Amino acid sequence: MTVEELSYEQARAELAGVVERLEAGGITLEESLALWERGEQLAGVCQHWLDGARKRLDAAGTAAKQPPPQP
Amino acid sequence: MPSLDPATPPISGALSYACGVTEPSTPEQPWPVRVVSQKVGAWIARLGWVWVDGQVAQITRRPGTTTVFLTLRDPSADISLTVTTNRDVLDLGAPNLTDGARVLLHAKPDFYPARGTLSLRADEIRQVGLGELLARLEQLKKLLAAEGLFDPARKRRPPFLPARIGLITGRASAAERDVLTNSRRRWPAVEFRVVNVAVQGPTAVPQMIDALKVLDADASIDVIVIARGGGSTEDLLPFSDEALCRAVFACRTPVVSAVGHETDTPLLDYVADVRASTPTDAAKRLVPDLGEEVRLIREARHRLTRAVRQLVDREQHRLDAVRSRPALARPYLMVDQRQADVAALVERSRRTLGHRLSAADSDLAHTLARLRALSPAATLQRGYAIVQTASGAIVRAPADVAAGDALRLRLADGDLAATVAAS
Repeated sequence: MTVEELSYEQARAELAGVVERLEAGGITLEESLALWERGEQLAGVCQHWLDGARKRLDAAGTAAKQPPPQP
Repeated sequence: MPSLDPATPPISGALSYACGVTEPSTPEQPWPVRVVSQKVGAWIARLGWVWVDGQVAQITRRPGTTTVFLTLRDPSADISLTVTTNRDVLDLGAPNLTDGARVLLHAKPDFYPARGTLSLRADEIRQVGLGELLARLEQLKKLLAAEGLFDPARKRRPPFLPARIGLITGRASAAERDVLTNSRRRWPAVEFRVVNVAVQGPTAVPQMIDALKVLDADASIDVIVIARGGGSTEDLLPFSDEALCRAVFACRTPVVSAVGHETDTPLLDYVADVRASTPTDAAKRLVPDLGEEVRLIREARHRLTRAVRQLVDREQHRLDAVRSRPALARPYLMVDQRQADVAALVERSRRTLGHRLSAADSDLAHTLARLRALSPAATLQRGYAIVQTASGAIVRAPADVAAGDALRLRLADGDLAATVAAS
């Protein structure tokens, strides 16, 4: 599954795992870099989901302020 | 004696029977009017006395005569008969008789040949008092209840928002205005089909039943209201009529009763699907309050958005917390730490190498001194020489060379070439 296909929850769970492994240490630099890159990607996916959710909320809020259609 | 049994024989046969021997009528030998009238009168005269229950639609007292004419209606149907009676009979049994009163009378069908009209000739008239009417209603109520007309399980719920409402009420009445105004105030787009009827008096019940049938047959109508303002108990009697109750029960469309004031409970209230205490109250039961509904929707929408926003914000905090951890927030740290490790190692290695180098240095000097101590140079300095052949071999004995061989003599300060003269 590519990063873009992950749900918010999947991305967040994997991100937490990545951070734990980075913090635990005991891995090679190459592995650390790969993990860090993955972590940044995952954080980006999470942020993308949250931004999208906000945008949709804002759009719904704007629509709600329009006068209701005549019955 | 013939009765009022509906199964009476057909008229021509009956008339022949009533008047004995007459030739049957034919196109060639028709009967004159007087004969027909006489025969009809004679037949009717054979009908017996009956007790009749009805409602007075009209009383006509002819001045100068003792005969009184009453129009007697069936309270439930558009059917009436003329009653003739004597002023004395009326004064005896129902002295204050007015239009709309319920009466019980003892009468006999009577034919008036001069006009060809049928009337009931009454010899006793009793006005039915309010107490007895109410007692009858109580009886009727028990009967209808026993038949299941009031059964709550049979009641249908009117729709939340009816497409169209049928309204049965008096023309230009306060009840009509109350229902229309209050319904429109609650739900401006509400649609009505109004059927105006008499809501009191002898024609009220048949008109209301007709209106019910018309509105029930109209597919666009989701609910029917029968509305009338307050009135005397007598005025509200039509709303307890048995035929009306049965008509309401037979309706496929839900019926709302909105009759009189809070305290009035005509039988219609029991048989209707919904009982509204007043016409104004009916509006509340017919349509929802648009303002209230809009407010509820707005509130629900607000809570909905707030809940999702809170969720998003909470998740943002979690994400921010993870991203602010050093492992992610300061990625250079992992390089920097290793950089420091590398520098430390370099430092250590350099230090180690330095030690080694100086040790090697002194070692070299030592070795050099020892090397020098072992060198032949000092011996040569003292005047010795090393003799070597052209191949470099060292000459140690005269037998090692032959006459004429080239020799190389190594002296302290340089080489010298020589040739063997003899060995």
